[in-house]
Amino acid sequence: MPNSAKVVVEPIAASAAVSDGEALIKANPYRPWEARITSITPLTDTEKLFEFRFVDERIRNAFHHEPGQFVEVSIFGVGEAPISISSSPSKGGFIELCVRRAGEFTTRLHEMQCGDIVGIRGPYGRPFPFEQMKGHDILLVAGGLGIAPLRSLINNIHDERSEFGNVTIIYGSKNPREVMFRDQFEMWRHRQDFDLYLTVDNPDDTWDGEVGLVTAPFAHLEIDASHTYGAVCGPPVMYRFVVEEMRKKGISYDHIYMSFERHMKCGMGKCGHCQIGHQYCCIDGPVFNYWEAKNIQGSM
Amino acid sequence: MLYRVIDAEELPLLVEAFMRDHEVVAPVKSGRSVAFETIGSFDDIVLDYTTTLTSLKKYYLPPRETLIEFDAEGGSVTDYELEVKPRVLFGAHACDINALINLDLAFNDGRYLDPYYDAHRAATMVIGISCTPSDTCFCHLLDADEVRGAYDLFLQDLGDRYLVSIGSVEGANVLESACNPREATDEDRRAFRQITRARQESFSKDIPDVQEIPMLMDAFHKDEFWEELGGRCLSCTACSAVCPTCYCFDIADTLDPDGKTGRRERIWDACTSPQFALVAGDHNFREGGRERVRHRMYHKLNGFNSVHGRYLCVGCGRCVRACKADISPIEVLRFFERKGASDAK
Amino acid sequence: MSERSSGSIPRVVFAGFASCFGCQINITNIEKHLLDVLGQIDMRYWQLTSSDPMPAQFDVAVIEGAITTKDAEISAKRLREIADTVITIGACAQSAGIPGMASDDIDTRMKDVYSDHVPALISDSAYSPRAVGDVIEVDFAVPCCPVDPYEFVRVLQHVLYGSNIYPHTATLCGNCKQNGRGCFYGRGVMCMGLVTRTGCGARCTALGRECNGCAGLSPDANIDMARRIAVASGIDEADFNKALEMFNYNNEAIMELR
Repeated sequence: MPNSAKVVVEPIAASAAVSDGEALIKANPYRPWEARITSITPLTDTEKLFEFRFVDERIRNAFHHEPGQFVEVSIFGVGEAPISISSSPSKGGFIELCVRRAGEFTTRLHEMQCGDIVGIRGPYGRPFPFEQMKGHDILLVAGGLGIAPLRSLINNIHDERSEFGNVTIIYGSKNPREVMFRDQFEMWRHRQDFDLYLTVDNPDDTWDGEVGLVTAPFAHLEIDASHTYGAVCGPPVMYRFVVEEMRKKGISYDHIYMSFERHMKCGMGKCGHCQIGHQYCCIDGPVFNYWEAKNIQGSM
Repeated sequence: MLYRVIDAEELPLLVEAFMRDHEVVAPVKSGRSVAFETIGSFDDIVLDYTTTLTSLKKYYLPPRETLIEFDAEGGSVTDYELEVKPRVLFGAHACDINALINLDLAFNDGRYLDPYYDAHRAATMVIGISCTPSDTCFCHLLDADEVRGAYDLFLQDLGDRYLVSIGSVEGANVLESACNPREATDEDRRAFRQITRARQESFSKDIPDVQEIPMLMDAFHKDEFWEELGGRCLSCTACSAVCPTCYCFDIADTLDPDGKTGRRERIWDACTSPQFALVAGDHNFREGGRERVRHRMYHKLNGFNSVHGRYLCVGCGRCVRACKADISPIEVLRFFERKGASDAK
Repeated sequence: MSERSSGSIPRVVFAGFASCFGCQINITNIEKHLLDVLGQIDMRYWQLTSSDPMPAQFDVAVIEGAITTKDAEISAKRLREIADTVITIGACAQSAGIPGMASDDIDTRMKDVYSDHVPALISDSAYSPRAVGDVIEVDFAVPCCPVDPYEFVRVLQHVLYGSNIYPHTATLCGNCKQNGRGCFYGRGVMCMGLVTRTGCGARCTALGRECNGCAGLSPDANIDMARRIAVASGIDEADFNKALEMFNYNNEAIMELR
């Protein structure tokens, strides 16, 4: 005869006996863990960089992510939203999320202050193949908010800079006001850590970078295609054009990686909202290589 | 698999053994059709039903289910406990048990065990029963007319007796304590063979048996057929409401009336709902009926298959009846059949 | 430490135009929760419960009823000017509802009632009933006739605290099937669920009564297909079109039928 079965969700304090944060996380993947906003940096008119720290030390210690992964952020009562992690995994103890004020959830998040509490669960998703990329040249192309997940990869590469060959970043924005992390990138360019192409569609008087689409710098780009990994993230319309440029340069299908945006609601391949063809963006992606993407109906 | 035979007269004893301590859900008459409901006595059960309006899905994945409760003012998760009372689902057909196997694959995959689904599953026994196909049944075309596993007992009706497949120790215990199961004889085995053969032959011949369905779903992905089929869609989501394998859900927070506390729930959702693939910034990845209906069929007839090696659709025919616009996997099979005709365009 | 942004308690007014006031009454029907709900707002004006005058300042205006006179239009515009947020409640406000049925030929209707002696008070101000949304911009609409009070509370809390729930435009049948109900069309009975926006829980059909469409037409309704289904079930096409009008008088998709 069957017995009754239970699911118990408790406040963190109630599970004081458990010392293993990973076990806590695994027990119920739907449970968000309280995290405090510890820093807010305005980046543009519509984007802010938030730094979060888990309130509970066990969760803080157990949380590890890789570049390209995302978390589900809760504002209790407002709901949840999937947001990609912008900080490098090499820096522990906190995570940074770059958030555009686009809808109701992100508007409320933008209204919050340092010290306020949200919930975070994750990390979710297949990351960029960081270990595989080591020993290669890297070509990163970001459009607009696509810089958010790529920044995690860029920072991670920078932290282990000697492991990589030439690193080129092409980052396109609509106008100079929307360029994020510019100081940091410019500094790294100055130190010759990266080749950097900043480009905008609509320049103003202050702009001394390139003008045009993110594909424009490809015209004068020289790469060693057989030793290069490409990574792309940006608005849906951008992918087709950028990956074609990468293909023209001779980069192999399976060395071109891209991160897709869908509305991952559960984050664990169940709720269906992020499905693309036969794949779930949340567990099979969000990072796919071009070959995989070509084999997914409706991916691009 | 272990097999035993019991007499038809023993069946009430079996059901009553379950009813003694447990809620028993079984097919009962409901208006002009049959529905799964909690029964008060064995006599409520309609043993020879063809299909029900809705499936057994709700017993594993309730239409609304609380995941957590929270303090919205303080911003913290609060105490919440889901207790699933033990339940026996009696009289499930092979297609519905196959559907359950598919839900198991989605919810209890190795990467993320779903604790809520798991609790419902753990507290539920499944007793299957053989069936006779109706004119909208096509389980046999999608390898779902037979079921192996996921049940505790499966009753094959042999007229005056049942050949019982025993799928679990719990099933065996109840069977042995309530009835006098005996070894099957050659006569029982012959009767079983004759009955399964008769069943096989009684499926509707109007529903085409098409080879290579997953491949065809890819090959004809851009065909104008999808415009025609999707153009008929009412965006009502009746298909997924009745489907035993549509498991997609939304996650939403609801505040209590005082606005101080609330709960996060998962709520049935459907890929045929217009907002299903909407992302921030109002971009909709499946904007029209064409894309939505095609995606649903793709997941049922290809997508799930390419990941799990089984069709997600089990051919139960419920959506065939529920859809007022005649959109169903059968229409997709017929389309493929037309494309294979010698005079096809 | 609260995760909610601090702010003063929003000042709310309830205004009623041409309607039965049933929606407001239905909100009072959640007696055991009413104080909890009112505890989150500063209720400055509620015509139904108090004869205090409308204040000069408020944050949220809740409006019931259709706009049927020039004076009402002026009042509605004033509410809009002052309020940050306008919530309509009920079908009359959303689509002109029951008063909207008099829209087509208002002069004849006046004559029917007043013969040749239409009072100046009426003839000077009354015009064809219209939805609140046809006169002012509306931020949130709580549908149905009458509203579900809990849906009103949900929308009010959405305004107060935010919510990432977006409005669904699926039609009703899926919800009806969730309730385990068979279809009226199988019995040749007309039901507007085929084209009516979901969200009400399909409670009418669960009680054995066909949907009259009070939640309004879904923007994604497939009217042509629904009409074909109705006609194939033996429903007169004109009857179906007429039924569509009832709660969709201001809907462009319906206007062309008239």
